[in-house]
Amino acid sequence: MNNEAKLTKYVKAAGCAAKLGPGDLTEAIGSLSCTHENVLVGMDTSDDASVYALDSSRALVQTVDIITPVVDDPFVYGQIAAANSLSDVFAMGGEVATAMNIVGFDGCHQPRSVLKEILAGGESKVRECGGVIIGGHTIEAPEMTYGLSVCGFVHPQKIYRNNTPRVGDVLVLTKPLGMGILTTAIKADMLPLNAVEKVASILATLNHKASRIMQRYDVSACTDVTGFGLFGHAYEMSANRVSILFDIDAIPIVEEAKALADMGIIPAGAYTNKAYLSDKVAFTQAHRNEMMLYDAQTSGGLLIAVSQNDAVKLLEHLRNEGIEYAAIIAEVKAFGDKPLAYM
Amino acid sequence: MKIDCSGLACPEPVLKTKKALEELPNDSILEIVVDNVASRENVLRFAQNGGFDARAEELQGGKSLITVVKGFACAVVASSKEEAFLDKTLFLKSDKVGEGELGAKLIVGFLKSTLELPKLPKRIVCVNTAVYLTTADADAPVMEILKGLEAKGVEIYSCGVCLEFYGVSDKLKVGKIGNAYGTIEMLFGGEGTISL
Repeated sequence: MNNEAKLTKYVKAAGCAAKLGPGDLTEAIGSLSCTHENVLVGMDTSDDASVYALDSSRALVQTVDIITPVVDDPFVYGQIAAANSLSDVFAMGGEVATAMNIVGFDGCHQPRSVLKEILAGGESKVRECGGVIIGGHTIEAPEMTYGLSVCGFVHPQKIYRNNTPRVGDVLVLTKPLGMGILTTAIKADMLPLNAVEKVASILATLNHKASRIMQRYDVSACTDVTGFGLFGHAYEMSANRVSILFDIDAIPIVEEAKALADMGIIPAGAYTNKAYLSDKVAFTQAHRNEMMLYDAQTSGGLLIAVSQNDAVKLLEHLRNEGIEYAAIIAEVKAFGDKPLAYM
Repeated sequence: MKIDCSGLACPEPVLKTKKALEELPNDSILEIVVDNVASRENVLRFAQNGGFDARAEELQGGKSLITVVKGFACAVVASSKEEAFLDKTLFLKSDKVGEGELGAKLIVGFLKSTLELPKLPKRIVCVNTAVYLTTADADAPVMEILKGLEAKGVEIYSCGVCLEFYGVSDKLKVGKIGNAYGTIEMLFGGEGTISL
């Protein structure tokens, strides 16, 4: 990796660890109205992307996301930011058509060549999933940000919503947790190079393949795990209608992140997420990896609610296709005391 | 040794704590000031998982003071605690010292001076109208002083019966509610009692 540009050293928080907390966000957008007869999925359910019906067989999927650098290599940062932006379309079960670059460029600390590499990294990921970059917009900014505004298509009858799991389903997660902690450690130069490369490769992996595979099984809901952490997104999935019981030891976590968490290298976003969810989680004895449940993920995996009958088949299929971290991590139960619990 | 990690984001407070602990000799205390929950939890986590005795206390303005002991916890903590306080109880029976407007001014003045003392009384016990002090308005000068004393570790107790008698139980803003037995025990148990 080319780490000379030291992209992460000029930003306050890395990646989705820089995201505004869920409580703040709900308050800010609460008064916006987005109802229209063609809007199939709007802002009211905090879903991953919006969906707008075009005709009986096609609907437009739109999403936008930008992140601050999570690695120092500009090309890889571009790939990760693009994978992060594209993911929302895949979480809805859609296919990417077009994308536009959105760049806040820190020209004070970085030469123009860095911008070129970031954009090349982004383009490589858009092409990988069959899309095309057709434009963009760049401004000078005190902190580097990059991401995509993405358009995709989905069949209006085959939208995967984030909040429609059935009692009896199990949840499959396709990428390991710990990215907020790991990117904070990368920013502080605390992670050895081989671990940085492993983390970068997980972050840059598209959820495209996982999305295509899940569409062949009996899946009732899907979302991608990003800034609000596994529990933040699982809470949205529960919609306060069902209770989701997690097996914390079954959740894939990058090994290095566990050691860093023990050391207290946990970004503030994780504590913000935890505070927001404090009354949504059933009380359990403290677990060593508890903070992982709240760690803000950048370009996280898909969280898929699948019937128990299909769960093992889906898991095997994912693993056979190289999605090696995929695991069954939770069970959807009838609503009990709280929407979320773990053991 | 004391380090101030206010205004720093993860992982800086932990890295500064780590460095300071490495430099400190055995049997010494490191104090770390932090100004947010994440820093407090992270520093505590680092110290406790590293086998150190660590605890946090709230300071004013949303800050916390974390004390980490390197070496033998009980011996060191006990001696440092004793050094900071006089074994004396300040017994307040009224919200004034003497009568009238002057009396009200005097009590604020006395308490303010107490706050500046190198060694503080171990505890303050408020009975009768003295509970008006611990239930004063949030922006009253006396409240700031009492909170300052509490932040420095002075135990403040307000008589529960008195709070109820004056109908101000729900306005208690500083210290704890004490009962008659505990109050008498404090008055007789300590080295000395001072009354204003």
